[in-house]
Amino acid sequence: MKSMLIAASLLKFEKQRFGLLAVLFFLALTHFSAGADAGPKVQLDAKKAGPRAVESLTQNAIVRDYRTAWNNMAHALESNSVGPLDGPFTGEAKTWLWQSVMSQQKTGLSRRYVDQNHRVEAVFYAPEGDVIELHDTADFQLQILDSGKVVQEEHVTAHYVVLMTPSADRWLVRHLQSVQQF
Amino acid sequence: MRPALLNCGFAGLIMCLSLASWGQNITVPTSAVAGEPATLSIAGSGKATFYLIGPGISNKHEINLGEDIKLRGDVLRNAGDYRVIVCSDSCHSATFFVTAAKPASLSFLVHPSRVPVSLSDAVSGVAFPFDRFHNLVLSPVTINFQLSAGNASLLNRSANTQAGVAWFRTASGKSAGALQVTASVDDLSAKRVVQQVASDPCNLRITGQRNATGILVQTEPVHDCSGNPVPDGTIVSFTANAGGVKSTVDAPIKKGIARAQIDASGAAVISGASGVVMGNELRVGAR
Repeated sequence: MKSMLIAASLLKFEKQRFGLLAVLFFLALTHFSAGADAGPKVQLDAKKAGPRAVESLTQNAIVRDYRTAWNNMAHALESNSVGPLDGPFTGEAKTWLWQSVMSQQKTGLSRRYVDQNHRVEAVFYAPEGDVIELHDTADFQLQILDSGKVVQEEHVTAHYVVLMTPSADRWLVRHLQSVQQF
Repeated sequence: MRPALLNCGFAGLIMCLSLASWGQNITVPTSAVAGEPATLSIAGSGKATFYLIGPGISNKHEINLGEDIKLRGDVLRNAGDYRVIVCSDSCHSATFFVTAAKPASLSFLVHPSRVPVSLSDAVSGVAFPFDRFHNLVLSPVTINFQLSAGNASLLNRSANTQAGVAWFRTASGKSAGALQVTASVDDLSAKRVVQQVASDPCNLRITGQRNATGILVQTEPVHDCSGNPVPDGTIVSFTANAGGVKSTVDAPIKKGIARAQIDASGAAVISGASGVVMGNELRVGAR
């Protein structure tokens, strides 16, 4: 009788443990899927690029690295830290982003880019493949924060002229310049 | 207090766009150039907090509504979008764009650094004009590409930038030596050098004679099809076929000629080759 009671309580414990694990699994799943949605979405159209054709593997690498660049840029400008700029940026793009973060640190301002969608068109790919020019039409929700308080929030459609150059293992954003229109 | 639209006369050059809002009119320039001062005006009265957020800049200070706000040129160094936010009871915003100034430098990429002569579409160059603040100049600019070797001009071509870039691709010249490649815009220029080297050997000819230890074979001075001497160090392979036994000796070109000693006492047929180019066959009798 005693052993039956012990077996029943063990079974109850197992059920509870399974339930707990199921809840944790569900929470983890929703957390990761929400994280995936929160990152920048990048679509690349390289059909009109020239004079060199953009191979599909190169397209994949550019999409991956451009998405990383925007993710890190958003993180840097929201957290006012220059660390995320190391890696995906170089040259003039890194310089002005670094200046932006430094300037924001002084004034206590920050920017938050939410729900980024980037429709990117490759417009020039150098004959030797050492530079690519992209035109990015980006949609996002931009929040300007002063000491953590949102002072301005608006939906923005922005146009960026981007120069990316290859490094040893990735494409780097060398130039990022917003324009009124292409 | 003057209405914001009446402020549009200032600076003479600035056209104004009035972005009406129910509390304040923020008047921003419709065309601003990097490094040049600009003026904003915000209608209203009383104090407000002014924010300017742009590429590389993030300003915040108190202003008196109704007074012009003069932005120094160094604040507007970077081309791109600048967001003006003014907060008093509520916040209002406007955006203006700063475009690049006139070209002040050229980023000029040329490939390759070494190229064989007489090769079609072998040399290419890409040029991006930048202003003095390193903004990409997106308005069309005519870039002149010039290629010259010695006193001979190989290319003189003008190309308008499209989306801030111009490029060329052309054949290499006929003579080995330095190829000067220049991109220029007005009084700006960027120069690069491509080393043109001889192409594959052409009309490879070998001679030979018996000596005490075998057969000494050598090439005549090795040139490419344009008459340029093939660089020293280029390998010539001599192959001897003596009585059905084949042996190969590789020899580098030294001072234009490659030499090799082949051990063969009987009659031999010897040929020379360099890369994909075959030379003549040489028949040497038995000792």
